[in-house]
Amino acid sequence: MKIKAALLAAGLSVAFFHGPASAQSPADLNDLEIAHVAYTADNIDIRYAHLALAISQNPEIREFAQTMIRDHTAVNEQALALLAELNADPQDNFLSQTLMENADKLIDEMSQLRGAAFDKRYAENELAYHKAVNDLVENTFIPNIDNEQVRALFEAGLQIFKAHEGHATMMVAKVK
Amino acid sequence: MTVLNRRQILSKTAAAFAAAVAGWSSRAQANSDDPETRKHVVEIRAFKFVPDTISVAPGDRITWINSDIVPHTATASDKSWDTGTIPKGGSKTVTATHGMSAGYFCRFHPMMKAALDIAGNS
Repeated sequence: MKIKAALLAAGLSVAFFHGPASAQSPADLNDLEIAHVAYTADNIDIRYAHLALAISQNPEIREFAQTMIRDHTAVNEQALALLAELNADPQDNFLSQTLMENADKLIDEMSQLRGAAFDKRYAENELAYHKAVNDLVENTFIPNIDNEQVRALFEAGLQIFKAHEGHATMMVAKVK
Repeated sequence: MTVLNRRQILSKTAAAFAAAVAGWSSRAQANSDDPETRKHVVEIRAFKFVPDTISVAPGDRITWINSDIVPHTATASDKSWDTGTIPKGGSKTVTATHGMSAGYFCRFHPMMKAALDIAGNS
């Protein structure tokens, strides 16, 4: 329930909790599916950041967006290096697909905004998104990951994303 | 070559070795008193500067080592000095100066803050 509330807070669909795929839940994902979700979530935040750089004129929003691109790219590079070392490929799954569908909708919505309205929406989404993903990583993914190296990478990633959540909290306060 | 010559060579070699050791020892002694050789290391780990405060004197060299997997900076609170980007596994060094801004942060992650305690700064 906590995960559902967090995903709702981030504007993510929870159809998978109720539809034909309701047998699937984030807790059922294997390590390679979890890796795919994390990689997807990183790329979604990179897309949000590129949108911010295209629209926002606010220097602090732009600096934040550049940090998101820099950090999420670094985490993804680390994840791909680990998967290569393990000779494994991330596996697509229902949660990655749901995240992508909802990101597409949100990007369409935010693309219509300009000026302070965009900055506020972007900052608020960054806070909600990082909160939701951090909750998922900390309370569902990390306890269920079997491979120790993958778990260590997720623990390192969680530190980074919690720092982003703190940074996003500052951004929300500034653009109110 | 005569025996005498070998002795002379051995003697000169020994003298040269002794002089080299004495010279090295002397320089090492001088270096330990040279303010420019005082070095400090701050590790950036888990989004923290460790230690978060160090005592330095003008002329000291401060090196930040990034042990995180994302880039960081060490940047003066008033932006008067800046290491620039310190990549994963990389390091950057700054020399302390009189009156330099003591507080610093990571430009990419502004919640990361630390300080230099600079001798002579009021």
